[in-house]
Amino acid sequence: MYLILSSILFPILAGLFLLVRHRTPLSGETPTDRKSLIALTGCSLIITAIFVIAALFAENGFTLFYLTPSLPIYFRVDSVGRIFSLLAVIVIPCAGFFSFAYMKHEEHESRYYGFYLLVFGVLNALCFAGNLITFYLFFELLTLSSMPLVLHNGSKEAVMAGLKYLFYSLCGAYAALFGIYFLYRNCDSLTFTMDGALRASAIAEHGGFLLVVAFVMLLGFGVKAGMFPMHAWLPTAHPVAPAPASAVLSAVIVKAGVLATIRVLGMFGTDFLKGTWVQTAWLCLTLITVFMGSLLAYREPVLKKRLAYSTVSQLSYILFGLAVMNETSFTGALLHVLAHGFIKAALFLCAGAIIYKTGKTRVEEMRGIGKEMPVTMWCFTVASLGLIGIPPTGGFLSKWFLALGSLKSGIPVFGVLGPVILLVSALLTAGYLLPLTIHGFFPGADYDYNRLQKKEPCKLMRVPILMLTALSVLAGIFPFAIFLAYFAVTGR
Amino acid sequence: MMIISVILIPLITGILVPVIPFQKRWQKEVFLETAVVLNSILVWYLLLHHSDSTFLLAHFTGNLNISFRVDGMSMVFAGLVSALWPFATLYAFEYMTKEAHENVFFLFYTLTYGVTLGIALAANLLTMYFFYELLTLVTVPLVMHTLTREAILASRKYLYYSLGGAAFAFLGLIMVIVYGSTTDFILGGVLDPAKTIGKTNILLLIYVMAFMGFGVKAAVCPFNSWLPQAGVAPTPVTALLHAVAVVKSGAFAIIRLTYYSFGTDFLKGTWAQYAVMSVVMFTIVYGCSRAVKETHLKRRLAYSTISNLSYILFGAVIMTPLGLVGALTHLVFHAVMKISSFFCAGAIMHQTDRHYVHELNGLGYKMPRVFGIFTISALALMGVPGLAGFVSKWNLAGAAVESGNPLAWGGIACLLVSALLTAIYMLTIVVRAFFPGKDFDYGTVSDIHDPNWKMLLPLFVFTVFIILFGVYSQPVVDFFMSVATGAV
Repeated sequence: MYLILSSILFPILAGLFLLVRHRTPLSGETPTDRKSLIALTGCSLIITAIFVIAALFAENGFTLFYLTPSLPIYFRVDSVGRIFSLLAVIVIPCAGFFSFAYMKHEEHESRYYGFYLLVFGVLNALCFAGNLITFYLFFELLTLSSMPLVLHNGSKEAVMAGLKYLFYSLCGAYAALFGIYFLYRNCDSLTFTMDGALRASAIAEHGGFLLVVAFVMLLGFGVKAGMFPMHAWLPTAHPVAPAPASAVLSAVIVKAGVLATIRVLGMFGTDFLKGTWVQTAWLCLTLITVFMGSLLAYREPVLKKRLAYSTVSQLSYILFGLAVMNETSFTGALLHVLAHGFIKAALFLCAGAIIYKTGKTRVEEMRGIGKEMPVTMWCFTVASLGLIGIPPTGGFLSKWFLALGSLKSGIPVFGVLGPVILLVSALLTAGYLLPLTIHGFFPGADYDYNRLQKKEPCKLMRVPILMLTALSVLAGIFPFAIFLAYFAVTGR
Repeated sequence: MMIISVILIPLITGILVPVIPFQKRWQKEVFLETAVVLNSILVWYLLLHHSDSTFLLAHFTGNLNISFRVDGMSMVFAGLVSALWPFATLYAFEYMTKEAHENVFFLFYTLTYGVTLGIALAANLLTMYFFYELLTLVTVPLVMHTLTREAILASRKYLYYSLGGAAFAFLGLIMVIVYGSTTDFILGGVLDPAKTIGKTNILLLIYVMAFMGFGVKAAVCPFNSWLPQAGVAPTPVTALLHAVAVVKSGAFAIIRLTYYSFGTDFLKGTWAQYAVMSVVMFTIVYGCSRAVKETHLKRRLAYSTISNLSYILFGAVIMTPLGLVGALTHLVFHAVMKISSFFCAGAIMHQTDRHYVHELNGLGYKMPRVFGIFTISALALMGVPGLAGFVSKWNLAGAAVESGNPLAWGGIACLLVSALLTAIYMLTIVVRAFFPGKDFDYGTVSDIHDPNWKMLLPLFVFTVFIILFGVYSQPVVDFFMSVATGAV
């Protein structure tokens, strides 16, 4: 109990402390201030990570208090939560250390770290939430605490993007809340389960309406996961944040939408939803998103925006796996949560390193970048291969399971159409990621090698990138991830 | 006897304010505050030790009389009003330093306290109607206070709307006198089934008219334009009267009319219920949409009040005990949240003389306490779990789901759309205040700071209650439950 609580409360309190200390934007930070700030944030990140890892082994759930007599705030560590928590606990400290170097050229650092720690705490709470109300509470808090990361640089564009993010997310959250009201009346309890909590009498009485409710909830939580038609906020909001924050947003925070979707699926139960119009409509939406995201990424000239569109597409791979609703595809979805998390974080950090070192943001400016920053670009390449799905990376394994599950499912049309679209999208992924590698390492004959200078980023940036890239490959080679995912499915 | 004294004490105190020749301002402050606090303590004592007896003040004829009684509903409303009034008075002392005609202001402000308690403690429809009319009359001077052309127009509009509404409500009163067995408030209604046979439709029509009549004060569409205009009044008035006392008297009167006079058994499932529920649902969305468009801070909050009042009415017109619980929860919780955000707006106006939303850029760092509290009240109004607004919306939506009424299910959607719009109109202010943009010149806000303790203390207390109700609302909700089932 205390481990879970401290993994939530410690970063939140540390973040609040930093925010309260940051009274006014008028006084700039002196170098000594900066050192103590970084030391404070770094320690908090590491301590929190230790708490979280220890908490992963916690067994018993506990009720913190009751909002109303029937609404407990309840925490529990379960296998699905473990996977998401594992992702968060690796990516957030990595990106955090990266930002110590990156944030040198941005203002309001303590505000940034303050909200960064808040987000960490809220994410832990989200992973460990044991019932729908607790989850909803932290889902809203996640939106509110991550919005300041988006509008961090304070430009008009960033503020508008932040507000867009906020209102889309809240819109989704309220759609989900609509469902929660109905679930509350039609379930015995809101505690998470994987096999459906609806009362049989409720299904018999107004099953048709409950399907509508399920669809509204899936759409609502899908907003956070960037599912068509509510995806527009993602490519606006993610790129304007500072690069390490975009890494966290794109790799971890959007996964909250995926986690939410899994929880909703569990509450309604796959038996209730399988074969209904909800499944068909949902499959349709995810496939549209997969294809559309890749296509838009392919057309996008700004690197960070391109990566954001890629997130839209890749997240719907995961949602597609969930929508197929069998164990194989579910395993694929969970694997892709991890694989995409590591890969996308690595890619965004690479993009951040490039921006920090060269100031270049558009893809066509990055000719010869591989000569200037070879380590960074090698990592970028390896991560790209993972996202495309080339063996032996994590992306290959997850897509294999996704396609296999879809083919096995026997769903008419979509069962076959799904893998086809996944493959087309993989091709597009290669199309939008590999040109960077190609032009980066082979700038062409007219490239002026005399002006070439090494611009490799400092260790503080390089190590997190290397770690995340290595993890993205390891997730494919080492089956620990599969076992983890498999346990999650079978509920052991 | 005590029941009449709590109404009379504020009336007498108010009249004494311009009469007593105070030498110093603080003497007047101490006098007023003592009287108000004492009266509030008396009210709470009365509520906690109430007996079921009715105090008869005057008997006219037949079953027409002026009498007072404490029942569950009056406990809720009187308790709420008397809890808020001392804080609002304290706040008003500081706020009114910048306004003229202080004595007149405090005269009518304190009179209103007594009259509102009269509404809360009325034992029958006639008494409530009497005080309801009186409330209009004593609050008109408060709206008119600044004596600008705008204020006079606003108060004139307020007067016409309210009196017109009361006239419609009067029809309801007549119907209850004619077709009811008594005019006393009895949970479940007083209509005499023997007399109403064959008159159902005309009674329903009159109910809808009376609903809209009382609804004028509760600002239902289309009779709500007086409320944003009345925002020209000093902030203690807009905060306490136009977010709590006056407008909630309207909601209170509607609850009395629906649950205690006509009776839910008579109304439930009829076209009248659907009609008023549609009006209320429309108002919920309409108020919020207007709030999003509005750029004047206090008017924006006024539109927000319009929408939130209809939350209360939505709960009421579900016409189940749970619906009443939801209505009462929001009646109380919204009062605390809205008075808190209004006082923040007032503090901003008092300290900076800025009235429009776009003028608030960058103020968050200069007035961190006020804007911190404003943020909390904004989140509470949006319905973030852990704050008061979530609990009341949960109760409302829960009641709507439970009722099995498809229109009420649509009402839940209205509540959520309105929650989203609430987020838009409240959080844009917060974002402006804390994230003014890259090239914002902090020199323009350099000499602005938080107000003094007289303004901050009420804000802190309300914030504590917003959080307290959010995390531990059980005793309050249990009490509402016993009110709604008639156990108190």
